[in-house]
Amino acid sequence: MDEKAVAFKVIRNLIFILAAIVVLWSMKLQVFEGKKYSRLSEENRIRRKFNPAPRGRILDRHGQEIANTRPGFYVSVVRAVIDQLTLSTLSDILSMEETEIIEKSKIEKNPFSPVKIAHDISYAQLSLIEEKADVFSGVEVGVEPLRNYPYEELFFHVIGYVGEITCEEIEKDKTYILGDYIGKMGLERYYENILRGANGVEYVEVDARGKEVSKITEKRSIPPTAGVDVLTTMDLALSESVAVYLEDHEKAACVCLDPQSGEILVLYSKPSFDPNLFTHGLQKKEWDILNNDPDAPMYNRAVMSCYPPGSTFKPFIALAALDSKTVGEEKRFERCLGEYRLGRRTFRCWKKHGSLDLTGAIVNSCDIYFYQLGRLTGVDTIADRANRIGFGKKTGIDLLNEKQGILPDRKWFEKRYGYNWTQGHVFNLSIGQGDLLVSPLQLACAFAIFANLGRIPIPHIISRTDTTYFTADISQEAIETVCEALAGVVDHGTGTLARVPGVEVCGKTGTSQNPHGEDHSLFVGFAPADNPRILVCLIVENAGHGGSVAAPITGRIIKSYLNSLQQELSEISLEQ
Amino acid sequence: MIKKIDPGIVWLTGALSLLGVMMIYSTAGSAIMTRQITWLIFSILVAIIFSRISPRIWLNLSPVIYSLSIVMIVIILFKSDIYPKRWIKFGDFSIQPSEFAKFATVLMLASYLSTRKKLQSFSDMAVPIAITGLPAVLIFLEPDLGAAQIFLPILIVMSYWAGMSGVKILILFSPFVSAAASFSIYTWVVYMAILMVFLYFRKQLTDLVYGFASNSLVGLIMPLLWSSLKTYQQKRIIAFFSPWLDPQGMSWQIIQSKIAIGSGGLFGKGFLSGTQKKLEFLPERHTDFIFSCLGEEFGLVGITVVLGLYVYLIYRLLRLAKETRNRFSSIFVSGIMIWIAYQTFINIGVTIGLLPVTGVPLPFISYGGSALLACFMAIGVSLSISKTKLAY
Repeated sequence: MDEKAVAFKVIRNLIFILAAIVVLWSMKLQVFEGKKYSRLSEENRIRRKFNPAPRGRILDRHGQEIANTRPGFYVSVVRAVIDQLTLSTLSDILSMEETEIIEKSKIEKNPFSPVKIAHDISYAQLSLIEEKADVFSGVEVGVEPLRNYPYEELFFHVIGYVGEITCEEIEKDKTYILGDYIGKMGLERYYENILRGANGVEYVEVDARGKEVSKITEKRSIPPTAGVDVLTTMDLALSESVAVYLEDHEKAACVCLDPQSGEILVLYSKPSFDPNLFTHGLQKKEWDILNNDPDAPMYNRAVMSCYPPGSTFKPFIALAALDSKTVGEEKRFERCLGEYRLGRRTFRCWKKHGSLDLTGAIVNSCDIYFYQLGRLTGVDTIADRANRIGFGKKTGIDLLNEKQGILPDRKWFEKRYGYNWTQGHVFNLSIGQGDLLVSPLQLACAFAIFANLGRIPIPHIISRTDTTYFTADISQEAIETVCEALAGVVDHGTGTLARVPGVEVCGKTGTSQNPHGEDHSLFVGFAPADNPRILVCLIVENAGHGGSVAAPITGRIIKSYLNSLQQELSEISLEQ
Repeated sequence: MIKKIDPGIVWLTGALSLLGVMMIYSTAGSAIMTRQITWLIFSILVAIIFSRISPRIWLNLSPVIYSLSIVMIVIILFKSDIYPKRWIKFGDFSIQPSEFAKFATVLMLASYLSTRKKLQSFSDMAVPIAITGLPAVLIFLEPDLGAAQIFLPILIVMSYWAGMSGVKILILFSPFVSAAASFSIYTWVVYMAILMVFLYFRKQLTDLVYGFASNSLVGLIMPLLWSSLKTYQQKRIIAFFSPWLDPQGMSWQIIQSKIAIGSGGLFGKGFLSGTQKKLEFLPERHTDFIFSCLGEEFGLVGITVVLGLYVYLIYRLLRLAKETRNRFSSIFVSGIMIWIAYQTFINIGVTIGLLPVTGVPLPFISYGGSALLACFMAIGVSLSISKTKLAY
């Protein structure tokens, strides 16, 4: 029995030791690390759920919605609990690759947090998922406010678009979370902070499969704050008209503004793109097609494309000459016989104009007159006055990515061509060709100097009462002289097709030389001459002469806008 | 002659079983609980009947019972088309032959060891190894690593209790340590060095030769054996050593179990209020991980009380084994004791993250009819032994 007593003691002690180890180990978990595990347990159980705020609307000048929100269904997955069956079924329903779903869900580091993998799913898809709700694990469906652009591609370049936030964007601004939408372009981006609103926070209890079980009331939830609406100066009806007038042309840009206040009425660029497609989340393939399209639909031609202004620059040469008192209005040069020789080179005019004074040269857009005028005025004076008017500088519109164009001066020429640059370069500058590049918006603002008799407003799309102006410091007399000539252009010159019955229209035609194909057709005009309410700068790519294509369309735009103003006035008086 | 059963064993098993019913209600609801209660009532009846059967009858029946249980496992190995091959279906309910094999093997081993008055050399261990090895290997083939492993401690403790030298047993089973150490070449070399020094000073040639040969062999073939393990078994072992590496895979169970127990704190979240359990973060809530739920709802206090009940029950069995004069009965009770003790320790050790995950039920508490019935059969025989413990 002695043997048995020893064995008894050995086993008994072993049991006590093991029991003590278990108790001590439990104590370590429950007492010393208890807080940590409580926290982990709460993190398991409680999920902070963000309720996205509806984005502020974007309104046209009459308060009509040109961007609003609508409810859309999204699908999110919890990576940690999704199983193979769920994954393959979901991939069939959403027609997404399984790897794509997994890839998307990996954006979120915490595998227990749901990640939105598809937005704006159809009712058919929604009901298929709801049907499988009991079988699925780690899949949630919810409603979120989605951006909606009722006029599709009409305002794409002004409004821009919103897209799901990227990790890099979150790095820059930590107030965003994954799954948020952010303005990527245009007004959406420029006024992002006004439009975005603030996400609401809610605490919910979830089970192991990531399904919501109940709301948690001990922790106070914060409702989402909707974004603030942005009232713009855009004119919906006029924009639609412009789109209709330009139906037959593939590529064009049009800027309409109120020259007195700088309010942008229309900012149109063609070809365009339906920004609603971004809301679904574009596939990489679609993106590539969009970005590599030779017609560049993503490009806002009105503020980002720079063209040689052609003859539309002639009024500014005249302005420089008159302001610097180089010549007077009555100045006549050598007669225009269709060509002009400078050394061994021959410069041509598009027509034999004969002898003209300055007004006549503008009205008939005589190149040979302006070669000589430019030569006499000199590159320094031209560059100085053009710079004062705003060429070669950004206008300061409330859009990002505005281009400043190129205004060549003596320094620029020297840098570009060395000391060999010649009068020929100045000749080209004098008729707005060659190295000079302007954006349609820039040209429109420059013409505001005539419409506004000296003051140039800084253009803006957001509605505001305090327009900022800058004064070009050009003599009033010179401006008035050129302005009269601009009226002549439409009345009996190259721009007669822009005439609007009963209204005096001022304007200038232009043909922008295009080394890659047919020339671009330009027209800049404003009306009524005595109290300008609208200024239009239109460029139609590859359409030929300004007088034949751009001028008549500009005339229709001006007519359409002035008619609508008339109607508004009569409506107001009727109400009174 | 005392003709009274041990009251401690009765109320301890009763308390643990009722606690089990309570926890099954908390983790799986009333339907599952009802099933467990049905099993419990049946098990109690069986235990009462068994407690009235004389130990001598068990001794005589042991070869029959042992053979039957082996046959049952062989049948499912060949006939069952459900993988893993662990259950036999009888209409509405199914039983797990491996649970009854534990009872049968303890019985058989006790009966064999009781006939041997002296256990001295390694060769005396051949038959006990065969008796326990046969069901262990068959169950391992099902495969059910959790159930197969129990036969090793049963063999060790029962032989020890029967009079085998402790040092001899240690040397005999040292290859298992060698196997564990072989996962790292450094630990293995250190282990071998210590073993060789020990054997050298023991000055017994057979021990030295056996110890060196078996340990070297196992240490060399272990890496090969590792690669033959099922992927899920390998994963379980890997997950044990680095649970946070792969929080969604196998280690999910360990992590969630530790979170459940750890978040229970000192006093727990309260009965039926465990969030880990309720929201189904806890896997195998009413079976292998029922202790995690207990820790979550009753805290350290609850764990200590339950552990106290187990330790006291095991102690009572151990004392019964010591006090029982009949050699067969004494060895049998020691087997019952280590069976319950080992399963308790492994199960709790797994849930608190002390041991790698192996599917072992917690005696009396985990849901499962076969395990409950087998334990009650063992308790029934123990009670009948307690009545006659002073008889030779």
